[in-house]
Amino acid sequence: MLKIRKFIKIFLINIFLLSSAQIIWAGGEVTISHYFSGELGKANFMKAVKEFESSSGIKMKDSPVGHEDFKTDILVRAAGKNLPDVFSYWAGGRVQFIVDSNSLLPIDDMWERDGLDMVVAKSVANSATMYNGKRYLVPLNYHYSGMFYNKSVLSKAGINTMPSTWDEFLSLCAKLKSKGITPIALGSKNRWPAQFWFDYLILRTVGPDYRHNLMTGKAAYDDYAVKHAMSIWKDLVDKGYFTNNSNADTWTDASDKVARGKAAMTLMGTWITGYWNGMDLKPGVDYDFFPFPIMSSGIPNAVVGPVDGLVVSANAKNPSGAKKFLSFMMSNPEVQAQWTDGQGALSANTKVDPTKYNTVMQRALRTVAKAEVYAFNYDLATPPPVAEVGLSMFSEFMDNPANYISILSNAQKNASREFKN
Amino acid sequence: MTALILMRNKIFWRTIFLSPPLIVFSIFVLIPLINSFYYSFTNWNGFNSEYDFVGLENYTRIASDNLFQNSIFNTVIWLISAILIPTILGLLLALLIDSQVRGSNFFKSIFYLPICLSAVVVGQIWIWIYQQEWGLLNIIINLFRENSFEYAWLSKPETSLYSVIIAWSWQQTALSMVIFLAGLTSIPKNLLEASQIEGANIFQRTFFIVIPLLIPATIIVVALSMINSLKGFDILYIMTQGGPFHSSDTLAMHMYNESFKKYRMGYGSTISVVLFFIAVTIIGIYFRQLKKLDELYD
Repeated sequence: MLKIRKFIKIFLINIFLLSSAQIIWAGGEVTISHYFSGELGKANFMKAVKEFESSSGIKMKDSPVGHEDFKTDILVRAAGKNLPDVFSYWAGGRVQFIVDSNSLLPIDDMWERDGLDMVVAKSVANSATMYNGKRYLVPLNYHYSGMFYNKSVLSKAGINTMPSTWDEFLSLCAKLKSKGITPIALGSKNRWPAQFWFDYLILRTVGPDYRHNLMTGKAAYDDYAVKHAMSIWKDLVDKGYFTNNSNADTWTDASDKVARGKAAMTLMGTWITGYWNGMDLKPGVDYDFFPFPIMSSGIPNAVVGPVDGLVVSANAKNPSGAKKFLSFMMSNPEVQAQWTDGQGALSANTKVDPTKYNTVMQRALRTVAKAEVYAFNYDLATPPPVAEVGLSMFSEFMDNPANYISILSNAQKNASREFKN
Repeated sequence: MTALILMRNKIFWRTIFLSPPLIVFSIFVLIPLINSFYYSFTNWNGFNSEYDFVGLENYTRIASDNLFQNSIFNTVIWLISAILIPTILGLLLALLIDSQVRGSNFFKSIFYLPICLSAVVVGQIWIWIYQQEWGLLNIIINLFRENSFEYAWLSKPETSLYSVIIAWSWQQTALSMVIFLAGLTSIPKNLLEASQIEGANIFQRTFFIVIPLLIPATIIVVALSMINSLKGFDILYIMTQGGPFHSSDTLAMHMYNESFKKYRMGYGSTISVVLFFIAVTIIGIYFRQLKKLDELYD
């Protein structure tokens, strides 16, 4: 009987101690959710998280979600008033949307305290971090979209000089095709990979100002300018320059096709370098890139890409811990270098030593630096409901390019309705 | 004394025993349902805690939404196919297995297997079967062709919806088969033997004795297929996400897209209300017919 009483006593004391520890622990806990899955640098992200935990004593409670599922998962959590303290998000239209919904906490105090004006590249800071006059996002990294190619495929086809103009690009495609090589791989199953074609064709033919108008509803999808850009895209498809059934492939399928030599190149963001490096391809040896060719003179040279950022939820349970994490990830050049290396991205932290990038990423950095405009890719440049219309339009176009006029007029009808709502 | 009266009170015990399921039902069904009705009259975006009441605006919007009309059309196709295919195939398989052909127990286990798998696993298996370059379906077709056949079944608008329906039916057929098999055990053997002695052949026995006596099982199969198909979302999400370009959008998928991809939770709620009324109407009509049938049997 005595033993049982003793056991119960010890049991109750343990429960009390454990719950107290839990309360203390919870005080130093920050919840986080992100879309950095396996092929998008999860290992390096988690390494940085561990370093933060050991240096700050704050426990990061992580719940990663796959890249595509994240887009809806975060909304489900917001609807349930259950947003994590910190989450990754794409700068641009999507952040603007949740800022307008009062779901984010401004981080101006942290920005000032850490002197991030001196750390973050001005072009990125201006376009990606300020919303409605306040700072809401730290740019964890940014990407650049270019034409990534398999070096051995091109050199075997006798191509050693990369095209810089549209005519040169067309003759490169023709040469590859004549040698039985499919010039371009595109994996538009998840729709977004096709957007880079639309972005660059619009930017190169009519320029960033017109594109900005299109993204904000001041220009129409059935304008001559858009029809002209789409007709150029259609010509490429008609000539058989794209892989068959693009809508059946994901971006990794298309990247694999290029890596295996089944296609020569793919228009993709720099995250492809992280993916290929993970397959033991050597940057500058096995693969390289060239910028999307110039199509018209007198149009500002624009580059396209997304900025991945970290934001703090307006109802964060531990806002100070959350801001400490943001500060750690942004301000520390070593952490930034390690993270961007794993993700195949460029750091917005100007203190990161550029020589730490591989040769391909160094060239990407120089290409972005030389560009006159850094534009967010389509689904980040236009409001999310309109982006849905456009993304479906791209996959419909890839299925039936001959129908592009009616596809565009239908897109305009739907987009104008989404802009009105 | 009061306690004793309470103990003897039937209403008290009914309340006690019914409370747990009623509480669960209220939390997971009733309250969300009422919430959906409420939000269907708002322009809530899902993120913002503030929103406006827009009256019937969302309901009038449905009339001009071509994607809604497209999803209604697809839902009708889905519903009809999802009732017909598993019911007919399930009945055929059950009759075959019940006829004690060689290895029927083995085939029973094999055919039953899909029901043990989750929709995600079923979806993934069929994604591989439909894969354009190395998928089983194209490999089989290529056996009979000279030129290479690389059709992307799930990525073509002409076939995406039907491809998912086949995958879904594959799983549902297993469920139908098991219910029909259970129904077959309740058919008196002496009735079949008597008809055989009277000279009825296998087709006459099947069509005039077995199938009419399987009506109760058929009712369950059809009801289950109907309910499962109306709420069918997971397998579509895994296999096509309603794509390519909305060609396999059903009402449930359209509701999801509007709510979670376009951030129009208010409008998404309106679609869910419409879906609710469609489901209630169909099931209401079905059970009314069922009642008539019951009266006929009585």
